[in-house]
Amino acid sequence: MAINMKMQEWNPLGYKALYKELFKRHLARQEELLKRGRPVGWFFSFHPSELIYVFDLVSAFPEQYSAYCAARGSSTDLIDVSLSMGYGHFLCDYFKTTIGSIVKPEKATPPTMPKPDFIIGSRGLCIAHCEMADVFARFNKVPFYIVNYPYWTRYMIGRHDGFTKVPEKIDETYFEYCVESLKGLIDFLEGITGEKMSEDKFKDVFRVAEDTSKLLVEIIHLMMSKPTPGSQREICDLVFVAFFALGSTYAYDFAREAYNLIRDKVKNGVGVVPNERYRLLTFGIMPWHSLTLYEYCERLGATFPVNLYVNESVHLVEADKPFESMVRRTIHFTNADYEMIYDVVEGVKEADLDGAILFENTGCRVTSMIIKPLADILEEELGIPSLIIEAPQCDPRIMSLDRAKMQIEAFLETLK
Amino acid sequence: MCSKRISNDAKRNKRKNTMPDHLYSFFLTKSKILEYKKAGRKIIGTLCNSVPEEIIHSLGAVPTRLLGLSKTTENADLKLPRWLCSYARRILEDGLRGDLNYLDGVVGITSDDTKMRLYSTYTFYVKNNFSYIIQMPYVRSENSLKFFSMELERFAHKLSNHLLCDFNRDRLKESIKIYNKFRLLCKEVCGLRVNDTPKICGADWMKIMLGSISTLKEDFNKIVEDELESLKDSEGIKDYKLRVHISGTDFYDVELLQLIESLGAIIVSDDLCTATGYFSGFVNEGEEPFEDLAERYLSCSACTFTAHPNVSLIKDRIGFIKKEIERSKADAIIILRDKGCEIYGWQCSSIMEELQDFPILLLDIDTPISLEQYKTRIEAFIESYGD
Repeated sequence: MAINMKMQEWNPLGYKALYKELFKRHLARQEELLKRGRPVGWFFSFHPSELIYVFDLVSAFPEQYSAYCAARGSSTDLIDVSLSMGYGHFLCDYFKTTIGSIVKPEKATPPTMPKPDFIIGSRGLCIAHCEMADVFARFNKVPFYIVNYPYWTRYMIGRHDGFTKVPEKIDETYFEYCVESLKGLIDFLEGITGEKMSEDKFKDVFRVAEDTSKLLVEIIHLMMSKPTPGSQREICDLVFVAFFALGSTYAYDFAREAYNLIRDKVKNGVGVVPNERYRLLTFGIMPWHSLTLYEYCERLGATFPVNLYVNESVHLVEADKPFESMVRRTIHFTNADYEMIYDVVEGVKEADLDGAILFENTGCRVTSMIIKPLADILEEELGIPSLIIEAPQCDPRIMSLDRAKMQIEAFLETLK
Repeated sequence: MCSKRISNDAKRNKRKNTMPDHLYSFFLTKSKILEYKKAGRKIIGTLCNSVPEEIIHSLGAVPTRLLGLSKTTENADLKLPRWLCSYARRILEDGLRGDLNYLDGVVGITSDDTKMRLYSTYTFYVKNNFSYIIQMPYVRSENSLKFFSMELERFAHKLSNHLLCDFNRDRLKESIKIYNKFRLLCKEVCGLRVNDTPKICGADWMKIMLGSISTLKEDFNKIVEDELESLKDSEGIKDYKLRVHISGTDFYDVELLQLIESLGAIIVSDDLCTATGYFSGFVNEGEEPFEDLAERYLSCSACTFTAHPNVSLIKDRIGFIKKEIERSKADAIIILRDKGCEIYGWQCSSIMEELQDFPILLLDIDTPISLEQYKTRIEAFIESYGD
């Protein structure tokens, strides 16, 4: 470690207890619904999570489960299982980990996901989600449904807000196609549950989702305050709330408390570390096996007021426009032509950034292919340099934590 | 072994038809494309088989499927992950080196994650006068078909605006006819591979197909028509040990196919996007050309990325491969899996499982191709399963 980089006292927001309560309530709901014999669905990020609560479905998330296995050390064995089956090495870690857990559950960290009755794929981020839905459905011998969305371009939506994801416009042809696809999903879920969707419940859930989403948007805005109020160690788990639990009352309760905590810290001018030296942007799926890396950086005085991956998970829901809100969820720069990166970078100008640490997630085409254009735009628009670290999200063998720390220290020394 | 190989090559060369090399030279030198350009035609590069070339053709422009010729990718590797498929890296490399400066526009399609972002990366770093990404639905359904048809029409109008020419429905129908004729001729030539004494080897078939992406289809059709009879009358190849089907995606390195055949195999069929997958599937010649195009491009079984609702997408692909193998009476399969190919990464496991009755050799491919590395394995495979 460089001589002038002393480790500092670390003051996180205190979200740990909130997450614990959130997961406790989430699991209690699952248990209760399983007892009632409600159907189990597997879902992916950027799917319309509100419908899980409208239909009282038991939900499981291969991505979140893979992250859980990565944090607990079983993902490497599961990835090896998938490779031995003939799946490509350079595929999504979430896929490789999940398929390993399906074929060799004894190697997976318990509790494993409940067996699905159906699977929902979505083109809201990547085709890999659709391919995963297909493969998982085949292995579990259950039906699946794919929600189609476009790969957004400037001429379809104009400019967009990187926090709320509200675009200038949505071209009617594409909007209607998405809405049809979402209505097809509702039909599919009605078929699975054997019940007509309750319009009242639909409205109620979207009202809760709207209130929650407003708080989440505020939280990611407040993170850009000076000094940076929170740690990415705790902010990174917001993706669970935004991707998978939006629409639930426990997500709302979490967001309200989380907002209060960050608001108070900002009001009192308290940062995650006493002496903030570098303000960094980060992007890429978090390396779930090595989350301590964020804390390490922060203790060195390098904080992260912006995590674009977390920001991408958040969007503004408007209860009186439920379908438009579900479509907006997919309007983010990771599902769009690269011109959209400029909108996002414009939005984080106020964060007064010094540099960026970008994670190239091996096997994830969506996040990895965008990394270098993003680095170039950050340089061009904000004049800041980027450090790119190869970091598969579930396979620590490719990313040595010590090597990453050395790279980061060297990078920090080059900053102003 | 070496002397036998030389002797095999000599025999094959003796009866060699010159058409494959002639067409292949168009691919390597871009001579035809540059000729069209000189004559005032606009050249539009496409990033996937699923871009309906008929639309570009009907507007008087020349569609050409982009396949990078760079053997190394040092510039592209600074812009794309190194583990990505060589198909994407080589196209970007060509673009960055200025080798694609003859293009007047680029058209992509949302057919897989790599190709979507390749379009964005390419247009971000290599500026073109015109670029468009066609929104292809992932699911085959009535609703998707309707949407895709509208999307194709939108693309036609965007391109016609750029080219400053009016879109004409009849001209599109005419282009569909030309492309269907192309497909019919390809089917005929491809059919000559399946005899007991195949009239054309796999490497030559690939050369013909690569020539086809570098030529206007009407010119290609004429060349093939002129040569077809003599090809049919040729003696055919007898001196092989093993009939092989080649499976893969955007593979186009003729040298590797030549190596396989020089070691005693004959490639009698394939499911490559760059060969049999490129021409398979006719377009209905009806009154609604956009609907007809949408139908063909959305339901092409040779392709790998669209699915019927609730039906596994791999089933169609495997069905297509099985049909090709049955037709060609191949005895073994060689899989050419680009190590970074997402499509084959997903599907390889299922394909190998479904075709487990056949001997299979799986070769992981990367650029630059190291022929020596593959030689031992191919030789051993042919010796194990050949006559």
